[in-house]
Amino acid sequence: MSATPTTSVDATLLIPEGICVLCHNPINIENVANSVRDDAAGASAIFIGTTRNSFKGKTVTRLEYQAYSKLAIKTMANIVQAAATSISRSDHHPDNQKVRSLIRCAVYHRLGTVPVGEPSIVIAVSSPHRKEALIACELILEEVKRKAQIWKREYYDGESESEAEWKENV
Amino acid sequence: MSESGFQPREITVLYFAAASTATNLTSENIAIPHGRFHLSALSDLLQSRHPNSNLGKVLEGSQWSVDCEMVDDPDAIELKGGEEIAVICPVSGG
Repeated sequence: MSATPTTSVDATLLIPEGICVLCHNPINIENVANSVRDDAAGASAIFIGTTRNSFKGKTVTRLEYQAYSKLAIKTMANIVQAAATSISRSDHHPDNQKVRSLIRCAVYHRLGTVPVGEPSIVIAVSSPHRKEALIACELILEEVKRKAQIWKREYYDGESESEAEWKENV
Repeated sequence: MSESGFQPREITVLYFAAASTATNLTSENIAIPHGRFHLSALSDLLQSRHPNSNLGKVLEGSQWSVDCEMVDDPDAIELKGGEEIAVICPVSGG
């Protein structure tokens, strides 16, 4: 087990576009889905990232996440706001008219020890139409993986804890 | 005024992930030298405090944040004391 930085703590940030959360408790998928519910939505896209049990033939016993929470939550909010600004629906509107097409976004990332098989990240996006919801969900996921100041360490069966590898998203 | 009359200028350095494993620390307060001191000089200062670690290699592949802002150009940032600086290793969320 790594020493946990005192700056790796739970955090919640509410923004007009939705909500960003870092939490040590298990993520309740239904709560995340409900947080983007809206009568104007025709679609909600939900991505659930779960901890996998293997890496290159080795058995993963658990994963451990830490974050620089106050910076990571700000990064997550910036990503959501950028997605909300950039994704617009043109099919139902004149080409020159940019219309915001996301209703609400929720990004939850777990911290601390996450047993194999549990969600480590859950993203939900509601939109009037499915296409924008799906595109935004993937965009937010890829950007969070690329930018948010969150780190993952994998522990392997039969290997000493000190050998456990800090991963890098590339 | 004697040298000791100067207030020491301290910064807080936060270590996460591989940087934390390398230093065996999650944070430390350190005094920065008198005179102009740029963020780009911090790497050498930190390595000198952790000579038998792989911190140098970790820092080579990392970025800095100062007071919760990611830094593009460490040469452009002059530290005054009081800043919270973090070593931002390649991230791996998700």
